[in-house]
Amino acid sequence: MTAGVRIWARRYSALMRNAWMVDLQYRASIVLWIMWGVMEPAIALGIWWSIAGQGAVGGYTRTDFARYFFALTLINQLTIAWDSWYLDRWIREGDLNFKLPRPVHPVHEAIADNIAYKARSATVLLVIWTVVSLVWPVVRLPFDLKTIAITAAAVILAAMLRFLISFTTGLLAFWTTRATSIMELHAGISLFLAGRIAPLSLLPPVVAGIASWLWFPYMLAFPVDVLTKATTGHAILLGFRGQVIWIAIWLVLCRTAWKAGIKRYGAAGG
Amino acid sequence: MAGAIQAVGLSKSFQVKVRDSGLSGALRALFRPKYRDVHAVRDVGFSIEQGEIVAFLGPNGAGKTTTLKMLSGLLYPTKGKVRVVGFDPWTGGSEFKRRITLVLGQRQQLVWDLPPIETFVLNRAIYDIADADYKERLDELTTLLDLGAILDKPVRQLSLGERMKCELAAALLHRPSLLFLDEPTLGLDVTAQEAIRRFLLAYRDRHGATILLTSHYMQDVTALASRVLMINRGRLLYDGELDALVARIAQAKRLEVVLQREVGEDVLRRFGEVKEHRFPNAVLETPREHAAATSARLLAELPVADISITDPPIEEVIQQAFALGAEDGES
Repeated sequence: MTAGVRIWARRYSALMRNAWMVDLQYRASIVLWIMWGVMEPAIALGIWWSIAGQGAVGGYTRTDFARYFFALTLINQLTIAWDSWYLDRWIREGDLNFKLPRPVHPVHEAIADNIAYKARSATVLLVIWTVVSLVWPVVRLPFDLKTIAITAAAVILAAMLRFLISFTTGLLAFWTTRATSIMELHAGISLFLAGRIAPLSLLPPVVAGIASWLWFPYMLAFPVDVLTKATTGHAILLGFRGQVIWIAIWLVLCRTAWKAGIKRYGAAGG
Repeated sequence: MAGAIQAVGLSKSFQVKVRDSGLSGALRALFRPKYRDVHAVRDVGFSIEQGEIVAFLGPNGAGKTTTLKMLSGLLYPTKGKVRVVGFDPWTGGSEFKRRITLVLGQRQQLVWDLPPIETFVLNRAIYDIADADYKERLDELTTLLDLGAILDKPVRQLSLGERMKCELAAALLHRPSLLFLDEPTLGLDVTAQEAIRRFLLAYRDRHGATILLTSHYMQDVTALASRVLMINRGRLLYDGELDALVARIAQAKRLEVVLQREVGEDVLRRFGEVKEHRFPNAVLETPREHAAATSARLLAELPVADISITDPPIEEVIQQAFALGAEDGES
């Protein structure tokens, strides 16, 4: 290990350790957040379950819906990012004042927080999923290493994309007091275009067409479809291409917003 | 350029949204926002040598904290040039950041829910401090700041004074050579204030660090700083020794008298302006040049048990200086 790698490994493990220790102080709120994360797909599943009845909707049977929304719950927790809310506070209330003079860019604290949060939520959800799949075979997913490896890659890229979107939107707090409202709007749109409320193939063609030109499907629907094997073959490669392109675009936006925003920073408060 | 800080023509303006009152004002501001330029710092220049302790004096909103934030690289100046420990604060990167520290009395880096030691451990990794150095520095800071009993208590359970001590320790673990301290004793009781002052002097003496601080407490300034920068409405009004400022501004001396027998106020008034009179104490103010002669007359003509000649309280002198500075600025 080179000295540089060792320094960064130490920094990340210290940042993640702190994030976990703070989490332990707020065990109840973590349970509530996870319940909130489970609630939305559970409601959507309930609706589609009753619509599908004994038949199928757009090729999805009750079993397919159950698998889809279970996969969605897990992948949503593995890719979700709250950074726009944190950044909004850092910028407007002046928390950046003690983060900026440190020799580590504040983005690393945000990344470490994300890894810590996702590792913890994923562990809890995997336990829940395992227990549920023991009593409800419908949600068992085919366990093959190839699918797991491809899904893992799609999940990592989706997490990077959602992080960049959230971080960049949070940076708007340098200009406006409404950065979190913009993120709420984005979350509302992603309800439809990212596949949170229904598989994308069930959306009207016009909406699905719009979604295909934007980043939304690559945030969530694509990795879910890879895990449930709704996307296979060449479509997987196209999905990865879409993820990489949108990550590159949001990375440029993020860097541009940071460079411009930091010059406007008012360093609020003491 | 040598030295710890050189600032030339430093200025900072902010654009502030102006909004009329009431609902109609809010609606107008929504569709046609109006802005006003606020000049927080105007053409400020000074230089500070390594090892100096310099205090920024000024009322609220004078531009002290804004200047401190520009010097530490938090804010970009609108105009001007700055070199801080040999670096440009905005492009100096991590090499620059390892040499400075910024402590803000109202904004703390300690993790609220964890004991202070966890923030120290985090800073060890962030600043890449070798284990042996970390241990030695932590021991030193624990001793100097008397932190032994509080290192493992959650920050939220600590008193304000304890938190500020831990905040200083967290900010100094990487052993910076330049300390920017904004109101480091704000809200602390007298004992805690004194502990912080003693510590800062000891830290400077041990490590030759430069300290630039702002404070509303004159005791901080008189105990720590050899030099003051007086700033008001964004302009630097005075740069020099505190004693010289007092000598220049304070045209009067105070005669603090202890009387053996009660004397009427009309009698005291013959010797100078009576600032306080409650038997057996009286405080008189007299022009600086007459102080010696007046005290001789007092001793000769009144039943004086004790007498001392002092400068007026530093707070009054500073107030006077600001009043004069404001007049100069407006003229």
